[in-house]
Amino acid sequence: MAIECLVLGAGQEVGKSCVVVTINGKRIMFDCGMHMGYLDDRRYPDFSLIPRNAAEDFTSSLSCIIITHFHLDHIGALPYFTEVCGYKGPIYMTYPTKALAPLMLEDYRKVMVDRRGEEEQFSSKDIVECMKRVTAVDLKQTVQVDKDLQIRAYYAGHVLGAAMFYAKVGDAAMVYTGDYNMTADRHLGAAQIDRLHLDLVITESTYATTLRESKYVREREFLKAVHNCVACGGKVLIPSFALGRAQELCMLLDDYWERMNLKIPIYFSAGLTIQANVYYKTLINWTSQKVKDSYATRNPFNFRNVCKFERSLINAPGPCVLFATPGMISGGFSLEVFKQWAPDEVNLVTLPGYCVAGTVGHRLMSAKTPTQVNIDQNTQIDVRCQIHQLSFSPHTDAKGIMDLIKFLSPKHVILVHGEKPKMESLKGKIESDFDMQCHVPANNETVSIPSTHYVKADASSAFLKSTWSPNFKFVTERSRGNLITDDMDMISKPVLRVRDDRVAEGILTTGKHQNPKIVHLKELVHTSGLETHDVQFALCFPVRITKMDEQQQLNPVSQESLPFLHQLFLKLSNNFSEATIQESDQNLQIESFIVSVCSKEKCPHRMNDGPDSTYEAVHFCCTWSGADEKLARNVISFMKNLVLNKC
Amino acid sequence: MVMEQRLLADAQFLLLGSQRHPRLLSSPHAALQPLLPLITSPGASLPTLSSLLKTLTLQLQCTTTTHLPRIVLSLLSALSDHHPDLRREISLAVRAFALRLLPFSPSSSFAHSLAILFKDADTSSDVTDEPTFLSICFRPCKASLRRWLLQNVDKFCVRPSVLIAVLLGFTKDPYPLTRKAALDGLVWLSDKFVAVEDQSLLQCCYFSAAELLFDAEDSVRCSAVRTVSEWGLLLVESNQDKCKIDWSDALFVQLCSMVRDMSMKVRTEAFDALAKVPMVSQNVLLLTLTKKATSATKEITFPGRYAAKIYKLPASAAAFAFIHGLEDEFFEVRRSACCALRTFAIAYGDFACEAVNLLMDMLNDDSVVVRLLALETMHHMAMYDCLKVQEGHLHMLLGALVDDSTLIRSAAMKILQLIRLHKLAMFKLCFEGLVRNLELYPQDEADLLSVLLNIGQNHGWFVAHLIQENTEKIEPSLGGRLGFESARIVALLVLAISAPVSIERGICSIPPRMYSYAVTLLGRISDGLIGTLNQNDLLSHLSRCSRFSCVSSSEFFRGEESAVPLVKSDTSLYPKNDGIHGSCSQRLLELERVVHPIANYPLKIHDEMESSMGNILQKIHSLWPLIRCGFADEATRTLRSWKKQLKTFTCDSSEPTAELVFVLQYLRTIKLLGRVWIRCMFPLKPCFGVRKLEVLFRKLERSLKEMKYRFLGFSSEQELHILELILVTLILKLSNVKACCPSTNLKEISSVVTRVEHLVGGRSVELSSFVIELQKILREIGPSTAVLENALLLQKSLEYYTLRQFMFSGILVHVAAKLDVYNNYENPLHYVLGLPAGIPIEITLRNISRESRIWLKMTFKEKLAQFVYLDLHGLSGGDECRKFTFVAPFFGPPKARSFLLKISIGMECSSEPPYRSNVCGGPKHELINISGDSEVFLTRVGG
Repeated sequence: MAIECLVLGAGQEVGKSCVVVTINGKRIMFDCGMHMGYLDDRRYPDFSLIPRNAAEDFTSSLSCIIITHFHLDHIGALPYFTEVCGYKGPIYMTYPTKALAPLMLEDYRKVMVDRRGEEEQFSSKDIVECMKRVTAVDLKQTVQVDKDLQIRAYYAGHVLGAAMFYAKVGDAAMVYTGDYNMTADRHLGAAQIDRLHLDLVITESTYATTLRESKYVREREFLKAVHNCVACGGKVLIPSFALGRAQELCMLLDDYWERMNLKIPIYFSAGLTIQANVYYKTLINWTSQKVKDSYATRNPFNFRNVCKFERSLINAPGPCVLFATPGMISGGFSLEVFKQWAPDEVNLVTLPGYCVAGTVGHRLMSAKTPTQVNIDQNTQIDVRCQIHQLSFSPHTDAKGIMDLIKFLSPKHVILVHGEKPKMESLKGKIESDFDMQCHVPANNETVSIPSTHYVKADASSAFLKSTWSPNFKFVTERSRGNLITDDMDMISKPVLRVRDDRVAEGILTTGKHQNPKIVHLKELVHTSGLETHDVQFALCFPVRITKMDEQQQLNPVSQESLPFLHQLFLKLSNNFSEATIQESDQNLQIESFIVSVCSKEKCPHRMNDGPDSTYEAVHFCCTWSGADEKLARNVISFMKNLVLNKC
Repeated sequence: MVMEQRLLADAQFLLLGSQRHPRLLSSPHAALQPLLPLITSPGASLPTLSSLLKTLTLQLQCTTTTHLPRIVLSLLSALSDHHPDLRREISLAVRAFALRLLPFSPSSSFAHSLAILFKDADTSSDVTDEPTFLSICFRPCKASLRRWLLQNVDKFCVRPSVLIAVLLGFTKDPYPLTRKAALDGLVWLSDKFVAVEDQSLLQCCYFSAAELLFDAEDSVRCSAVRTVSEWGLLLVESNQDKCKIDWSDALFVQLCSMVRDMSMKVRTEAFDALAKVPMVSQNVLLLTLTKKATSATKEITFPGRYAAKIYKLPASAAAFAFIHGLEDEFFEVRRSACCALRTFAIAYGDFACEAVNLLMDMLNDDSVVVRLLALETMHHMAMYDCLKVQEGHLHMLLGALVDDSTLIRSAAMKILQLIRLHKLAMFKLCFEGLVRNLELYPQDEADLLSVLLNIGQNHGWFVAHLIQENTEKIEPSLGGRLGFESARIVALLVLAISAPVSIERGICSIPPRMYSYAVTLLGRISDGLIGTLNQNDLLSHLSRCSRFSCVSSSEFFRGEESAVPLVKSDTSLYPKNDGIHGSCSQRLLELERVVHPIANYPLKIHDEMESSMGNILQKIHSLWPLIRCGFADEATRTLRSWKKQLKTFTCDSSEPTAELVFVLQYLRTIKLLGRVWIRCMFPLKPCFGVRKLEVLFRKLERSLKEMKYRFLGFSSEQELHILELILVTLILKLSNVKACCPSTNLKEISSVVTRVEHLVGGRSVELSSFVIELQKILREIGPSTAVLENALLLQKSLEYYTLRQFMFSGILVHVAAKLDVYNNYENPLHYVLGLPAGIPIEITLRNISRESRIWLKMTFKEKLAQFVYLDLHGLSGGDECRKFTFVAPFFGPPKARSFLLKISIGMECSSEPPYRSNVCGGPKHELINISGDSEVFLTRVGG
């Protein structure tokens, strides 16, 4: 059994997230996004690659589609896929995503068609129809898609309604993270998931190598910049996307305004933002713990210092703060205001952390003020205002990704939604740190990983009974794995470990046309009708003895000569003091190890590579059972180095 | 009553019928439930209850396996709860029942009956002993029963060594709740089982718990964190030296690796556990505030668990731990993280510097609670003197001063009072922040003025500077009106009056009329000083300052200019006879009549001083409990403030009284004793060098000796008081300073005790319990030589020591000497190479009897000391004051062209043991410096 992952989008790039995963025959499409950087075919994932039989359509080939959140690079191609390509199967997303997605899609469609005059890919009606097919799910709600396939959503932070999805078919389980954030911000919480037994985690890796500072630092910098500007009578322009960042920054400012008793107006320009605020207010359950806590007394999305904005206020005297869309000053209202405010050096413009090349925002990022920016061929603006670059981001950083993977401890990891070189570096780190296999597939590549498959087995009553009561064993181990390194003298002695062997005493038996069955160790012989065999080892080998004169030289004091067996007994007693040695006339016995003097010339167990024939030797014959293998080896190697006195 | 009887009869009918009643068999719970109100009702009569008990007991005797016993047992349990006098009987019945159950497979009835037995502490039962416990554990039974058993391990009498093995085994149980119960049991055991010698057993517990840090169940992980922490601490404890630190680091990093757990409880638990880690290497600790592993920590690994299958713990697992905690979504985690951070910030300087950055940033948090937490943490750090505030931080701290919340503002003010500002710019920023606060929140005025006063006292020179710059703003405008309504002026005036308290001689750097102006704000200012100074005292202080300086300012400046570098031109600052000033004094007088008509003006400074000394001596012994409990810093702070208060009196009279000098010396001694006490009695407090402790001891002993020898006229009570202090010091030293010679020390202790006995002999003075205990111990020890044991024995007596109130009676006399050498760097004395140099010195001796052995000590470069004996017999004048000129010979001056000689006068303490190797001609006993050091410059004449 295997899990097949076909990456249709966001493989080694950011944009058009789409992964088709086949687990035990079930095929799930995670996300159905579009690429904002392309206007041709490349903007959509190549749906034709989805494996299907000739007669099959997408509906029968896919079990379901799961959308993690409402960003266009995760949902943009959905209406196209359902209405144009004809997928009619189930679609799952969270409630907020279902509520906000049509807004985003419609907005995008309008921009495409109305402003840029492009050919329509899907109509408003398509969006409505597509949304009708969507099943909304709640967090941690287990949804049985069909008999075998279970899915469950977990909170992901990132944006309102973003979720990670857990999918399980039979015994194989995986998590697709979508975009997520591991630290809470002002309005959204941190990702939250259970510790699950997973074969695979597919995670985003936007910041595969970036390590981000504490959020307090970026908040301080932002507030300081804004406060300094308005304190000097300047106007602050905050271009931002309608959903997410605007709310976070506004909460930050609103709170600061309250604390510091500032009376300077804050404006929201775009209609969408205000509409979005309405959603935030109603979806309190999806926000951060802090918001939930304070919700009882006051809805934090009811901004106290935000005033209604009118166009005439752009050039009104006095300081103010204005939120305007779009975020990268690529046009629209934010550009309009920017043109007016940029030439004055007391004003401030904040830029989001990431701006697409070609936008005004991107040009400002690298520029030093004062500078000049060409808006189009005819317009040039003198930019003298201050520029502040925001470092807020709803994606987790490299440490966050590592922390999540460490927590989930899956067997395999696939990285998507990132830049190739950085992903490679993260991959290396995951493999070396966690000893885990990690893959970085490109678009349209398929990765196949083995999956877990459990076998159902009957259990004998004796085995079941044995599992009722504990069966502890304490064992000492010299080292375990790479526990001890050279520079560590902290663990000097063997480590004592405890085991519970109750399950380990079961033995799995299978036969032809028989279900597998677990029986207890003790009943194995009985149930399988076998006989007990015991492996016995034997060895006969010579031990050197000294001649009389030599003996006197070596050991002048002891004149006495004892029988070989007794001499051996004394020497063994000295060296193996912890073992019990029984001595009888014919032999010595330690556990199952028995040694006797061998007088047979042609002993079948005799080994001839003993001491040189120049020396006199006596032969000892030893037998022992397999259980005392280690002991026997120790005793024999000790005996081989012995020199006995001639008697 | 009738109801009672009916219920009872009903029950008896049900239970004791010849055959089981069908109702009882079908639903025993419903049938017997009505009895519960009977049991719980407070009015139930004893006979009814007894017969009920009998019925229930009978029932227990004839059932074993049906589910009936469960109901009966729960009724018995309720009965036992509500009627403790029946408990004994119930226990007996239940015990018999339990014993009958014992041979069978353990059931919940058995657990139930055990639970009832546990309630009666007296039953030394044979059902709660080790064999029973083990047999239930290992027989097949329900997981819930086994869990219950493990949760109640503390109730069974099981040997720890057996229990530890059982609990360890159950950490491998397939049921998560059993694993959790086993871990909880181990935590409980760690407390009881401190004397584990066996390293491998400790490690086994530690690693078994560490394994469960990766359990799938949240609650198991939570308990695992606790277990790792507790057994980790034992493991650290059981190791020595380098290993100890390594294990401590390993534990720290292991716990840090859990701060990113998805369960809030686990994270909280992890930070709570982190706070307990006794020590950690600085580089590992610093890692918790950064994401990047430094080169020093990159390669380090510890034994432990990094992930489910990775048995090597890299130090980098600690990275960013504290920041993650402090920016956590849940308040609980942030609180725990803050507490842990606080512990380490106090102990580790470098870490504190980094942590301050983080804490300052937290002041932007949206939750008041978190902001408050950050401020409290900083306040805590400031109390321990480890809050280093940089200029960049002030922006945030001052932001908190104008915060909407009163709590935040007052917390910020508390911090501002304690911090040290290194630059004038910072001081000014602070001042501006406080003024802004005053303007925005007039309701804070009282607190704020007190903060200003405190800051002013701590930063005297900055105050002088600021006042100078702003003098014009304070001056009355042309119309003669004072603009005192303005918050800024008020703040400036308060700052101005705070200054002289801290700078003894710079009093004149603040124009004296400021004090007169401040009088107009008397009411407002004194509101802020409730608890430290009352209005009368403040008024007298203000009037004294304003009067004192203006009368003597011209005089004061003669020859003092170098000491007051800030005053550039006195003419501009001190208009001698200008009109405004005159009118101000006038106004001051008038005001005083209005504000405080009965004020005795001019006030007697002396009385004031005496009252304040009396006050201090009355209060000082109340600080002892603080010191005893380890809060030396609080005590020190109070002592310091008292000292400051007293120091104000030393600057205005030329010769401080003996009493004042004594009280100052006493304060110093108690301060030192407090510090020594903490270091010795609370050795777990953050690393403190042995050397430093020795230095502290030396200072303390010196201070005690000065108290003993430099003051004459003690009553026996007073002397006893000092002797006890000496005893405490000697005992502490015996057990804590390795360098001291134990036998000498012991001898000293006995000799002091003899002196005490001698003092008390025949008088009505009572010995303190401390001395009595000490005598006992000394007798016990006898001439034995086992020093270590003796030290421990003696240390026991300290438990009886308390600082008593020092009573002033009679007149104290201060032994002092003064050296005047008319010589400085520009007018050196001359000497001829090869001949002894003669140094003319004017010596004033006060209160030194003719019999005292006085020595002149001359030191060159700290090593060559020459002593000259001063024979007082031939001198005229009384003991109170002798003044004479003496030419001291200094032999063998060095070959240098010029050199510096330090001279001082010392008095021999004849009652101290003599020096062992007597330097030829020098003093025989230890010298007490009674003059302070003076310097003499000498220059060679002729090439």
